[in-house]
Amino acid sequence: MRSSYPGFVLRRLGQAVVVVLLAYIATFVVISVLPGDPVSGILNNPENGFSPEQVDQIVSYYKLDQPVPVQLWESLSRFLTGDLGVSLRTNLPVAPMIGQVAASTFSLAGAALVIALVLAFAVGYGAHALPRWAGRDLLRAFPSLFLSVPNYVVGLLVLIFFSFQLHLFSVIDSETPVGTFFAALTLAIPVSAQLAEVIIANLDHESTQEYATVARSRGLTQAGLFVRHLLKPASLPVVTVIALIVGELLGGAVLTEQIFGRNGLGSLVQQSVTTQDTPVLQAVVSLSAVVFVVVNLVADLVYPLLDPRVRLTETRARATVPAPGRVPGPFAPSGLSTPKAG
Amino acid sequence: MTNSPHALPAPLLAAESLSVSYGRTQVVTDVSFALAEGSSLALIGESGSGKSTIARSVLRLLPRDLGRASGSVRLSGREILDLPERRFRPLRGRELGFIPQDPTSSLNQVRTVGSQALEATRLLDGERGRAERREIVLDTLARVGLDDPRRVFDSYPHQLSGGMLQRVLIGLTIIPEPRLIIADEPTSALDVTIQKRILDLLSGLREERGIGLLLITHDLAIAADRTEEIVVLKDGTVQEAGPTRQVFAAPASDYARKLHGDVPALNPDRYATLRDREIPAPASPKIEFRDVGKTFSVEGQELRAVADASFTVAPGTTHALVGESGSGKTTAVRLLLGLEQPTTGEVLVDGETISHRTHADLRDVRRHLQLVYQNPFTSLDATWRIRHIVREPLDRYRISSRRERDERVREALTAVGLDEGLLDRRPTNLSGGQRQRVAIARSLVLRPDVIVLDEPTSALDVSVQADILDVLLGLQAELGLTYVFVSHDLAIVRQIAHTVTVMNRGRIVEQGPVGRVLSRPFTDYTRELVAAVPGQELAGHADRVAERTA
Repeated sequence: MRSSYPGFVLRRLGQAVVVVLLAYIATFVVISVLPGDPVSGILNNPENGFSPEQVDQIVSYYKLDQPVPVQLWESLSRFLTGDLGVSLRTNLPVAPMIGQVAASTFSLAGAALVIALVLAFAVGYGAHALPRWAGRDLLRAFPSLFLSVPNYVVGLLVLIFFSFQLHLFSVIDSETPVGTFFAALTLAIPVSAQLAEVIIANLDHESTQEYATVARSRGLTQAGLFVRHLLKPASLPVVTVIALIVGELLGGAVLTEQIFGRNGLGSLVQQSVTTQDTPVLQAVVSLSAVVFVVVNLVADLVYPLLDPRVRLTETRARATVPAPGRVPGPFAPSGLSTPKAG
Repeated sequence: MTNSPHALPAPLLAAESLSVSYGRTQVVTDVSFALAEGSSLALIGESGSGKSTIARSVLRLLPRDLGRASGSVRLSGREILDLPERRFRPLRGRELGFIPQDPTSSLNQVRTVGSQALEATRLLDGERGRAERREIVLDTLARVGLDDPRRVFDSYPHQLSGGMLQRVLIGLTIIPEPRLIIADEPTSALDVTIQKRILDLLSGLREERGIGLLLITHDLAIAADRTEEIVVLKDGTVQEAGPTRQVFAAPASDYARKLHGDVPALNPDRYATLRDREIPAPASPKIEFRDVGKTFSVEGQELRAVADASFTVAPGTTHALVGESGSGKTTAVRLLLGLEQPTTGEVLVDGETISHRTHADLRDVRRHLQLVYQNPFTSLDATWRIRHIVREPLDRYRISSRRERDERVREALTAVGLDEGLLDRRPTNLSGGQRQRVAIARSLVLRPDVIVLDEPTSALDVSVQADILDVLLGLQAELGLTYVFVSHDLAIVRQIAHTVTVMNRGRIVEQGPVGRVLSRPFTDYTRELVAAVPGQELAGHADRVAERTA
């Protein structure tokens, strides 16, 4: 069964590279057709204080006097060698600029993912195993509640309660571990709702399967049944969902950083949009595309190793999500996730 | 049994006035039975009779929040119905073993067989290391007749066949050495020969270890072969109870008599007048297979599904294609319907080849060749009304006016014994037997000459099966239809077919008139199939009783 696995890995890697390249090209085209010309808008703007030599240097570096396809070719070949170019705003190389802030954003998104998973499995287990008098049905309403409250509302509530009232962390310097935890919690709550819905739906499905009844007839406890039998099959689709929500986490992180006043990709994106710093924008969007593609690649590669039933074929490499749960759409490169109001 | 209950030990299992309801619907009413240590009892009835519900009440596996059982169930004199879950759980597995109906869905698909078997060894008394527990599992897997216990141990369920999985489940059940096994239709998802081996295994284990058996089945013949006492259920109430031989030889209730009459093995001549009616000697065969072979290519390997198959079917007769799963009978049917093209040889209908025809050509052929599919629960679109389902072939072939089509739909429904009132219902509101009648009606509306019946009753209860066979034989006599009847059950073949082809691993092992093939089989394979039919021993016994009393 696994004999075709290396071939499958190679095929998927190739696809991932193609997707990243296409994302890069698409971003470049979108940025270049947007109104506003970097030469007249930024370089020749006296406020920015570029000298004519500097302007000539930048124009020839980016080939801004050449047609768009030439600029694209120049930009793409630099991207492939790992050179992300130079910021038009600060005149500094883009890669270290992103490097400084990306760590903060990724740790926020990573922490949020962990918190979301813990929350989702806790809600899933409770909604499945608690007796009715202990609020099993009430717990089932949580995902819808979490999904319907926008990220910024949760963020403000967290700020008011934990920072202003309880003084657990300071808004001025919010990049402490405690501050990161609460920012991540804010980001995690709507994401956990999506995961919880999938987990609950799958647990419901698995627990009515005949094998669960048969396992109970062998004397398993409720918790034993959950841990030994239901958890794994119910979690398998979660792998797929995680891959899809990573985009949402990155987009949400940008918003959450603004609320908590954290330095991160969010503030960088905001600055480069307002100053038309196209090389930085191009780099951030491409980086997001790479992260998204890599996470989906990992999910694809891991799934056949987790689920013995998945046979690798040309047409079906990853099992689709069997649950009726909500599956978010792909990450929008514009970054800001849409708050799910109502 | 004596009249002094105090002198005897309490029975292993005793149900008294057991009633079960799902929500507001009462499904079991006032059922009582008792099962002595080491003995066997069958709960028998059709779907909806409450027999599985009783089994699950005893095991306390009714759906949570929904099922409610009242009355009394005692295990060795101890009341278990109102025992707290915490005190009942230790009895599961150790005292009460459970063998489920469908082995393919009864093991966790994402865990190995071995890891699930090790779970059962935890129920054994005393501390044991992993290696020791593994040895116990391997020994047990060998004991239940699995040839390669180590491979089975490391396999995932989807890598094993249904028969192997049922052996695994039986093994898992006997590891903790329970005193009572409750088997819920343990073989209804299996082929007849596998069924016999599984039931033999269960009987052997019972005798060896003195385990009591509560067997749930819809098949009176199986109950007759395997149990000492029998409780006949209908609509949740007991119709008749007593020693199996007695109920079998002289059923007292109408319902038990009907069940008795519906078992094919006990009534080989039920359809004798219809079957043996005069059929005009045919000038030429209706269907002919000429040296037909079909080879599939799977992942670079050649797989021979059918090899050198030749047989003919006379018009107006029933030809049975018999074999187990994987015997090639389904491929043969697909070749006949033009769904596959033969690799070698040709298939003829009315003397004309239907092999290698164009699509449009096949369309005309198919109009006279209709199929009734195995499982009526999946072969009808649940979102369509019956009127629409039955009319669809007429719409597809654009036959006559809309009004006439509706007329023909009504005719077809009447022919299969369904009320016109069902026209606007949907399949989900119909019973299995009604659904299969709808499927037959759908195949009839085009007025075909040949109907292929692909195990048309294997998903149905024995009593419903008899109703469907009634319909089919009546239609054949009336319309002169030719049937190709695919089955793995020789008892039905004996009842309704004229000629038979026995297939094994893609090859024809035997063919000829049904009477000759079944009473004097030439090959061991056919003999094994004949021997696998349940209920024969008692049928012989009943015949002898009848002879003596006559």
